[in-house]
Amino acid sequence: MSEHDLFPFAREWLSDMDVSLAGNLKKWAESELMEKRLELKEDYSGLLEPAMRKLFLDIGLQRLLWPDKYGGDGHNSPGAALTMTAALEQVARGDTSIALLLSGMWALQSCMAMEGKENAEACEAFAGLFGSKDELAVTSLVLPLFRDEPQAHAKLAKGAWAVEAKDARPIACGADAAVFGVYCSTGGADEVGLIALPGDAKGVKRGKPFLKTGLAADRNADVSFDKAKAPEGMCVAKGLEACRAALAWLYLGISASNVGALFASYEILKEWGDNRVIKGKGQIFKNNPLTASVMAEVAKEISLDRMLTYNLARVLAAPDVYGEAGEESTYVTACMVAHQVAQSAEKAIGNAMEMMASAGYATEWNLERYWRDTKTMQLCLGPYELAKMDYAHYFYQSQAR
Amino acid sequence: MKTIDDFTRPLENISPMDDPLGLIVRDWAEKYVIPYRRRFDEDYKDHKLIEPAFNKLMGELGMQRVLFPEDVGGWGFGRSDQLGTSMYRIMEEVARADSGMAVAYGVVYWPLLMIAVEPHVNYELCKEFAPIFCDTEEARFAANAMTEPQGGADIENMDILGGSTIQTTAVLDGDEWVINGHKLWPTNSGGVCNLFGVVCTTNPGSRNPDDFAFIFVPADTPGCTQGPPYQKAGMAADKNGDIWFENVRVPKSYRAHGPGLDAMYFKEMVTLGNMASTAFVGGALLNVWERLYEFVSAETYKGQPLKEHDAVAAVLADIARDIDVIRIVGYQSARMVDRPDIYGVRWSDEQVAKARLYKYWASDLGMDVTGKAMNLMSAYGADRDWDIEKHWRDLKIVQLWLGGKQLGQVEVARWFWDLETV
Repeated sequence: MSEHDLFPFAREWLSDMDVSLAGNLKKWAESELMEKRLELKEDYSGLLEPAMRKLFLDIGLQRLLWPDKYGGDGHNSPGAALTMTAALEQVARGDTSIALLLSGMWALQSCMAMEGKENAEACEAFAGLFGSKDELAVTSLVLPLFRDEPQAHAKLAKGAWAVEAKDARPIACGADAAVFGVYCSTGGADEVGLIALPGDAKGVKRGKPFLKTGLAADRNADVSFDKAKAPEGMCVAKGLEACRAALAWLYLGISASNVGALFASYEILKEWGDNRVIKGKGQIFKNNPLTASVMAEVAKEISLDRMLTYNLARVLAAPDVYGEAGEESTYVTACMVAHQVAQSAEKAIGNAMEMMASAGYATEWNLERYWRDTKTMQLCLGPYELAKMDYAHYFYQSQAR
Repeated sequence: MKTIDDFTRPLENISPMDDPLGLIVRDWAEKYVIPYRRRFDEDYKDHKLIEPAFNKLMGELGMQRVLFPEDVGGWGFGRSDQLGTSMYRIMEEVARADSGMAVAYGVVYWPLLMIAVEPHVNYELCKEFAPIFCDTEEARFAANAMTEPQGGADIENMDILGGSTIQTTAVLDGDEWVINGHKLWPTNSGGVCNLFGVVCTTNPGSRNPDDFAFIFVPADTPGCTQGPPYQKAGMAADKNGDIWFENVRVPKSYRAHGPGLDAMYFKEMVTLGNMASTAFVGGALLNVWERLYEFVSAETYKGQPLKEHDAVAAVLADIARDIDVIRIVGYQSARMVDRPDIYGVRWSDEQVAKARLYKYWASDLGMDVTGKAMNLMSAYGADRDWDIEKHWRDLKIVQLWLGGKQLGQVEVARWFWDLETV
């Protein structure tokens, strides 16, 4: 039984194309990653980069949500939120870090290229990258570390932005990015914008890649922008609402990626539960009431996380019903779902590891990598305590910051 | 400015050696571990960075000698009434720097507890094995070869299974034991072990405690083979691997005590192993506090240090609370080890259950604390340079070992609720 049949969600929201794409990506994950990783572990050049090239370029996911007139496949409508969710679940099942890279790329694309709101100047400028069939569109988002405080500042003069930041910490890919999406303060207290900068722009300085907990396909490094220039039109999200729209899409991507990691964890735990014998008297692991109870909790978390994630996708897919992605109600929903799913994934995979004892933390069994990856991905959301200030504002009109 | 020494210890119960020993180990950690630990993960096979630190602590400073009687070159801790609290402090200080090193160091004593601790010192065996540890300035390792491929926690689950699942056999042939079996996962295997304590059965399938045998095997004995170390989520300093015993012959006298007694004192190892695990959690969390203190003081939000934000402060309060309470409970666990005259023998079901209780509670709390600390640090939480993610990976391993949480829950429930079948 596939996870499409096992873990419930509102499947009528998916198109035939979404289902077909998910099926193909499942095969990609198995053949390009899962069958090879016992030998190759988390090797970037031997395992992850070739798998990414196949996914981004040959299968063409970097073109999927990009407008057709700029070299993409033209699925650049809000409905793509559901396509993206179905795709990321399968990608993350194979490798969570590759799913995070796609999430960041699609979040940036969403504010450049959404149907009806296309930023022609930006689409033109990045058509060669996102429409490419041979260059990986590795995207690095430089977002606030603490709620809404930008790490970068941008000043507009003579039709161009000059972006400045020192040792900013991207959520991913600072070392490899072909394009940066930099969340900047742009003037007054609440004036912000998301500026797209080519990775090779003058004034972009990358630090040394640093070691981190997980997400091996993401080679991250601090980045400094020394008056890096971008044309005025490269501010692809202007104002708080537009920036929040990009974040809402990113949060959906992170949630879907967590669900995919949970699918993989479920499969690993299921194999353990089906085959492990305990108590020395022929009791199958899953048939012990205590372990069955914990395994049930894991399945519950996965089921609820998936339902929440598809509901968020539906909210973003239907702005006529729920409002635009950057509206406070939608943004707060996205933020709540992302944090909820991330915390739930941490708990569920942690519980699965507990069931497997030493095999839980042995790299050979692969479960521990999903645990490290999902925790690392959770940190892209920033501190939960500060995110709650946004919830409090929306629900109670709190002025707490 | 507060320091880790402001976290509570029951000062009236600690050993006079507590601070002198603790400060020696802290000084060692600052010089030989903390500057290098961020590269330990990649050193898991070769221990090029890790080995010099072990040599300093265990060989040169002599910490691998502490358990042995003084007249065979040791420090006599096994005959003191400060074994628990002194070891708790030492383990806490080592784990503050690296809990993988703490477990590797702590496990040197684990099999030796069977023979070097009152009231059951086996003086002849202490004398036999002391030179391995006491006559050198290089680190030497001992390991408890317990776990077998067919059932991880079954061997530790003595009350229910009574040793009936043990497949490693010991057959007496004249004046020698002949041992055959396959063990996996012991700390200090993976090629580094010098002396194994091997859990065997003299009668496969038997639940009779008389058939449970704990036999020492020097690692260079013919027929004893160690496989390479496994790769794990953390704890690179602790090497784990497979061990094969093929017709390994050792003198009859290498059995720790004999029928019935081996099984009884084996439970004492479970108590001490859990106590030490609580110390590993507590020590690592002291360092989490230090590193997080630095982070939330330096990083700003809305023009103020992050720690000055009311909602963040509440989380910081919870983190400090949990660390403080773990330390208090951990020292209580150690005190119970020190004073069997008050709390009962260390191998009693009560002591085993309570030590397991403290360990699985502290482990769960430790994971919660480190997870929250990482979360407060935003994208820096996963950065190796901030050390907290390392403690998070390492403490997960503490949470899962010794049969994991569920075996702990079962033993706690069995004792407190008089269960008969679980």
